[in-house]
Amino acid sequence: MDKLLISQKKYGFKDFLRIPFTVCPVYAGIKTLNQILVSVLPSLQVLATAAFIDTALGIFSGKTGQSAIFPPLLCLVAIVTYNNLNWQLMSYINLKMQMRLEFAYRTRIAEKRAALEYRHVEDNDTWELVNRVCSDPVGRLTGGFNNILGTANIILRVGSLLAILMAQVWWAGLAIVVISVPLFRLAIKGGQQIYEENKEAEKHLRRANYLKGVLQGRESVEERALFGYTEKVNQQWLERYEAARKISVGVSARFFVRLKGSSLITVLLSLLIISVLLFPLTKGIITPGMFMGLITSTLNLIQMMSWELSDTMNQIAQNLEYCKDLTAFCALSETPGALDVPGTGDTFESLEFRQVSFRYPGTEKDILKDFSLRLESGRHYAFVGINGAGKTTLTKLLTGLYDNYEGEILLNGRELKTFSQAQLKAFFSVVYQDFARYQISLEDNIALGNVLQRDQTKIREAAEAIGLGQAIADLPQGMETPLGKIKEQGVDLSGGQWQRLAIARALYNPAAVQILDEPTAALDPVAESGIYEMFGRISAGKSTIFITHRLGAARLADEIIVVDDGKVAEKGNHENLLSQKGIYASMYEAQRSWYQ
Amino acid sequence: MKKQSKMKNKKTMTGAFGKLLPVMIKAAPFLFLVNILLGFFHGISFGVETMMQQHFFDSAVDAARGKTGISQAFLALAFLGIANVACQVLNGAANFLPGVVDGKAGAHLSIAIQKKIARLDPAVFEDTEKLDDINKAEQGKNSAFWYVYNVLAILTFYIPYFVFMGWYLFSLKPILASAIVIIFLPTALAQLLRVKVFSHLEDASAPVRREYEYYETCMAGREYFKETRILGSFSYFKKLYQESLISLQKLKFKATMRSNLFELAMRTVTVGGYCTILWMLYDALMKQEVTVGAFAAVFNSIGMLYNVMEEVICRHIGEMAANAGSIRNYLNFLAMEERIGQRQDAPDWGDIVLENVSFSYPAGKKEDGTTEPVKYAVKNVSLTLHKGETLAVVGENGSGKSTLIRLMAGLYLPGEGTVKKNGIDTRELAMAALTGKTSAVFQKFQRYQMTLAENIVIGDPGEDWGKNHLDSVCAMAGTDPDAFPKGYDTMLSREFDGIDLSGGQWQRVAIARGFFRSHDLIILDEPTAAIDPYEETRIYNRFAEIARDKSAVIVTHRLGSVRLADRILVMKDGEAVQLGTHEELLTQEGEYKRLYEAQEQWYKS
Repeated sequence: MDKLLISQKKYGFKDFLRIPFTVCPVYAGIKTLNQILVSVLPSLQVLATAAFIDTALGIFSGKTGQSAIFPPLLCLVAIVTYNNLNWQLMSYINLKMQMRLEFAYRTRIAEKRAALEYRHVEDNDTWELVNRVCSDPVGRLTGGFNNILGTANIILRVGSLLAILMAQVWWAGLAIVVISVPLFRLAIKGGQQIYEENKEAEKHLRRANYLKGVLQGRESVEERALFGYTEKVNQQWLERYEAARKISVGVSARFFVRLKGSSLITVLLSLLIISVLLFPLTKGIITPGMFMGLITSTLNLIQMMSWELSDTMNQIAQNLEYCKDLTAFCALSETPGALDVPGTGDTFESLEFRQVSFRYPGTEKDILKDFSLRLESGRHYAFVGINGAGKTTLTKLLTGLYDNYEGEILLNGRELKTFSQAQLKAFFSVVYQDFARYQISLEDNIALGNVLQRDQTKIREAAEAIGLGQAIADLPQGMETPLGKIKEQGVDLSGGQWQRLAIARALYNPAAVQILDEPTAALDPVAESGIYEMFGRISAGKSTIFITHRLGAARLADEIIVVDDGKVAEKGNHENLLSQKGIYASMYEAQRSWYQ
Repeated sequence: MKKQSKMKNKKTMTGAFGKLLPVMIKAAPFLFLVNILLGFFHGISFGVETMMQQHFFDSAVDAARGKTGISQAFLALAFLGIANVACQVLNGAANFLPGVVDGKAGAHLSIAIQKKIARLDPAVFEDTEKLDDINKAEQGKNSAFWYVYNVLAILTFYIPYFVFMGWYLFSLKPILASAIVIIFLPTALAQLLRVKVFSHLEDASAPVRREYEYYETCMAGREYFKETRILGSFSYFKKLYQESLISLQKLKFKATMRSNLFELAMRTVTVGGYCTILWMLYDALMKQEVTVGAFAAVFNSIGMLYNVMEEVICRHIGEMAANAGSIRNYLNFLAMEERIGQRQDAPDWGDIVLENVSFSYPAGKKEDGTTEPVKYAVKNVSLTLHKGETLAVVGENGSGKSTLIRLMAGLYLPGEGTVKKNGIDTRELAMAALTGKTSAVFQKFQRYQMTLAENIVIGDPGEDWGKNHLDSVCAMAGTDPDAFPKGYDTMLSREFDGIDLSGGQWQRVAIARGFFRSHDLIILDEPTAAIDPYEETRIYNRFAEIARDKSAVIVTHRLGSVRLADRILVMKDGEAVQLGTHEELLTQEGEYKRLYEAQEQWYKS
């Protein structure tokens, strides 16, 4: 079933029906049936009213008996009752349907998102698409479903009213059809034009909203207050706002003129039909009851031509856009096995880069260029280099986030690409610069380091080893205290404590190779060095890679690798590198000079 | 307790209308008046239409029975047509206009909000409660317009409509007028209960929903993506996600069922009412007290009466209740205290003297309603920054460095003690006078999505300095405009069709901005983001360059770098623990020596 919900194909309106009917066929069926019933009710009401009035007139003139009035009266009562009570029934069905869809469809969408190839996550345009599709998938889906039912409703309602009209005066119905089709077209065309113009207004508005953020946001408060630029930026904002507003007013004016223009045409048309109907009425060809019924139905048509039609048309246009988005989203490539848990780890022997070149998809610049390096088991490595030298990119390749590199990366002598995701997860653990602050309990935060096996004592050991002992003692529920603001009794940690927590998670992780990608940037240098020292001590005997700017901390490593311009520029231990008088020596000198 | 807040709530809501109405009128007086008149005629036009329908039906029936000629019927039809056309035109205009008024009023109100924000004390942005009001002021402004509009719509459109219909029904047969009441009661009751049930639901489900949405983010959000994948923790979060979804759905289901059941009862009452009206109509018809035309017209209009009643009660009043919160945010925002300093003349360049200065950020409220104990960010600091001096401020994370420099700049006013600029208390000065000759490069400097030139000039928006000045500050900061594709006019944002800069490039732009502003005091807060050693050294050298000839304060982590300062202030836990030159401080046993040696050890060969 999962495959049915989301697959690589072109999505269209039929999918708005298909998915609800797959997930919850009974509810979707009831909803559809109800909608059909509701749409013929107005016509039934017209017929019942006609019968009622004719019977009443018959009674007045003494042609029919009193009791003949009851069948049409009961009909009216039944219609009124159904009209009023079906809403409750439907709200139950709607809720049930929404619940089912949320469980099946929304989860499936989230799964798809989590399994995406990582390059989609780093591509802003793609990620915007992902956000658009994933923000309220069930709402969009049921919106589309209701839109289809609504359209069917209009067609059925109009059709049945026309049928009654045509049964009495065939050409009147025909005239309405002939005249409404162009109106219908106009409504669709108007919708497209509005879409274009709104896009233009949207551009100004986006700019205006950005400036508004500068003027109102918390981020910019210091500079705003100090520099006092409010007045000047206000002017820029107003220019953009007014430009957008004028377009919108124009669009909206034209929308209303078109909307009401078509209503007016329908009014005139109805008047024409009604005045023609007056002749058969006076000649007795149609009864007064039927006459009133017909008039009621033509007047109802006017209402429909006005708001409902244009609403439905707008929704169709929006839903078509969503289908396009959904198609594009479903076509995004996934990483096979992305959601797997780590496998049980093999022993790590060696890791070798052979002439590896890499550039990010859609960019021109080589981040790595003929990068070659061999790392052995059980040693501590430090990667240093200037910003943008390609250090972080290496971790992304090792963990399988990107695999479109040239050359070879050999893990235990075997090409990295041949390892499954689960195997890679077992080999590497990474604490990223932008590590995750999971707002779950402190204990669970560390436990996530090893999802296969939970060992409370080891979790506590890891926390204490990294200096979180005191922090845990201070927490109201100790290790079980939920962190962050998601749970009401949650407690937030300081930036430094979060960093230690992320490192504790790595310590608890059984992966053979531990990578620390500068997770300590927000700490002051003293605290940072302390953490590196501690980590090095605790993970003695393991294989570790530190990525760092603080060269002082790099000294702890067995081997320092200087990455420059996508290549290994220098390597060796601290003393070696200093004596080489190359990049490392001059970087080190730059920092050291402050202390002489 | 709860009741009290509710009563207060009601009061503010009526008060809100009184406060907001003049603002709206002022924003677009003419359109506002037209809007009110339109609403009135629009409301009446619906009633007139029903009347004309009856007229026409009656004359048509009369014509059919041969009582009158067909020309009578045509005349009635013409009136019906006119009523219909008028109704459509008014409907269009009445729906179009509020949007226009909203747009115009929106411009006025946003500008007012932005100006108000500029007059606030920057420290209020650290107060979570007030921050909520500020952040939601914009949203509240929008609700405020529709709030006023809703009240006016009820007064000028809906009430005239119901009064007209009541009068019309009364004139047909007095008892028929009771239809309005029969329609009103169940609709109102059902809505009351719905609001109650759902606000309960909202209270109960908000935390669960927050969890549920959060777990979804953990599964596949951008900031969690890498880590969740490599840890293999997707299934863990999926389980939490589905569990919270189920409990959320249970809550929702229970609430909906409750309100549904009640609503079903109310709807049954409605159906009963409908049938009663139908019966009354039928009875009147049979007794020939009303005409067939009246029967048909009234019967047709009952549905509409119900719909309109529901529209008023569920949509308009419901919307007003739903927006009450954000309107309160807006009103709170408008009532927020502003900086009181009035002196407009900027003090001349001179010493900056801090006497026993303490400062604490607004204390948050605990869950049980008590305020947390006051934590001083800066405690009892006395210090003189001499004219032309360069002062370095050092200390660990969270030692109060950033707060101290905000006090010196005049962004914050001290809670206790005084800060004097050339002898003038910072509390007396208006914002512009206070900061007029002060510049800064903050730790979290802004990356304005504007052109290169705008990014720099925004540092001193009052002056027109000309290109030479721009060139010279760029050179100082190490930014080369020729290296940008469109020079100074390059848009620095991919989102607005420009280019992205690296962290180091942004840093240089920020330094150029700080230097562009004419100043006699400049404050430099060290960026903590990861920058490589070369960049770091370059920034220090640039800071040193800027600091020359002016008063300057430099905040730094790198103790080695402070030697370019005349004096060094060491902060610990909000207090100034040491003050002196580098050499002096190294000879003392203390915080400075401890920090310095901890750092220095990494660079000893």
